[in-house]
Amino acid sequence: MFLRRIHTAWFGIHFFLVTAVCLAGLFWLIAEGSTILPPASAEYARKGELVASWCLGKEANASNPVRLTIAAYLHAAGIQAGYTFFAPNVPNHHQLNLELFYDGDRVEYESPRVHGRAAALRLDSLLDRLADQRYEPIREVIVKRLAFSVWREHPDVKKVRATFGSINPPGMNEFEQGQTETFQPMFSFDFSVRGEEQQ
Amino acid sequence: MSSPTSDAAKQKFQPLHRSWQRILSFLFPSENDRWLTVFRTGLGLQVTLYALFLRNDWHNLFGSGGRGLVGRELGEAISSFDSPFIPKLGWLIAAGRNLNMSEEAVLTVAWVALLSTGCLLLLGLLSRPAAIVAWFVHLCVAESGGLLAYGADNFMTTALFYLMLSPLPDRYSFDHWVTKTKPKNSQALGFWRRVLQVHLCFVYFIGGLAKCLGNGWWDGSNLWRSLIRPPFTLVPPDLLVHFKYVLPLLGISICLLEVSYPVFIWLKRTHWIWLGCILAMHASIGLMMGLYLFALVLIVMNVAAFGVPNTSSTAQASSGDTNQ
Repeated sequence: MFLRRIHTAWFGIHFFLVTAVCLAGLFWLIAEGSTILPPASAEYARKGELVASWCLGKEANASNPVRLTIAAYLHAAGIQAGYTFFAPNVPNHHQLNLELFYDGDRVEYESPRVHGRAAALRLDSLLDRLADQRYEPIREVIVKRLAFSVWREHPDVKKVRATFGSINPPGMNEFEQGQTETFQPMFSFDFSVRGEEQQ
Repeated sequence: MSSPTSDAAKQKFQPLHRSWQRILSFLFPSENDRWLTVFRTGLGLQVTLYALFLRNDWHNLFGSGGRGLVGRELGEAISSFDSPFIPKLGWLIAAGRNLNMSEEAVLTVAWVALLSTGCLLLLGLLSRPAAIVAWFVHLCVAESGGLLAYGADNFMTTALFYLMLSPLPDRYSFDHWVTKTKPKNSQALGFWRRVLQVHLCFVYFIGGLAKCLGNGWWDGSNLWRSLIRPPFTLVPPDLLVHFKYVLPLLGISICLLEVSYPVFIWLKRTHWIWLGCILAMHASIGLMMGLYLFALVLIVMNVAAFGVPNTSSTAQASSGDTNQ
């Protein structure tokens, strides 16, 4: 009976956390205005997200042991993120184009590469994350590292210009009319041997 | 002999007591271990394929800054910011350094460990230790490569987390054949299957609800966008255009199928229809978008949770001590 009580208590706590994580994710989507709900709902969604975050201990101090323990448990159980894949809408695809400048005005075009399809999916997942405003503080570091991974294979390159952008696919009707996808640059960085500068 | 006061108190709390009993009978049904066999072998296959699919990029994805694609330090820093208690590859590499092992050697050992535990789970040999090691190593990898992770990683972590807590080994494992272990408690088996079932209900309800809130699922444009989105373009867009009138119907069906899953998967009449449709949806995702690991883990979870019929006579036969 004792074990059964422990199991029941764990079940309650576990699914309470799953609910809080899922609701926080859902409220965030609504608060961002990316759903079909009227803009007035954003304010309520923000409040709802705050409540859900509070339940997950995220409103506590960064070093609060309860917050750290809940976060560790969520990651250990794989429930740290909600299940809003491809929702509410399918996001644009993103691409990182690298221009490699050699001595004598020679320019080559490259993209970060991996060997297998499973790894390519992961690279795409990373690029899609970079477009998210929440990843803005680490964008430059990641782009720099991706550029460096290509640079290692072209050691005689003098400068690399990395342009990150979104690929807007044509709609079904546009596709039938012969339109193709368009590349919309979002930001770019120049990296040289001595240092880097942002454009 | 009970006093009138205590009788009144008993009557007062009877509805509460009845609800509690109902909760308990929902949480601890009698189950046999066939679902666990499916879950264990399915996840064994998943872990094996995960390791094999990433074999050529392993060091590139999870190596440190100077050698890897983006370096694992960034992912580890983000995860440490969440909580320093979250396992990561950095822990294993630090431990390896004490044994004079290079970072590359530790990464290779981690890959071999994942592949071996996948094979062990498939066979059912050392089932529980294999499940624990698979969960831990995969968690380290998923956290260190957090920036490169996608949905399949979360589902794998969750599934391995439940597997290692489930009452292993099952009757069809090598462990049972070798050590002749006693049959597991049927109610413990029932509890862990319930956990998996309830978890899937959350997954589909939230996923379906979020999709319902996007206009692109109602007019089929999201299906079009997801199928022509690199690197998922396995179906030529010219072919998709022929089905332009079917896509809105499919989009709406996906929304309704997912959001109503927590209701119709439990009803006898609709159980197999909903399960069949969900499995078909994941098989299509795997084949048409190339998301093989994502599709496989969800197919394994669904089949283990709802696809293995529970014959009560077998459940009773495999029942050990029912008082936990």
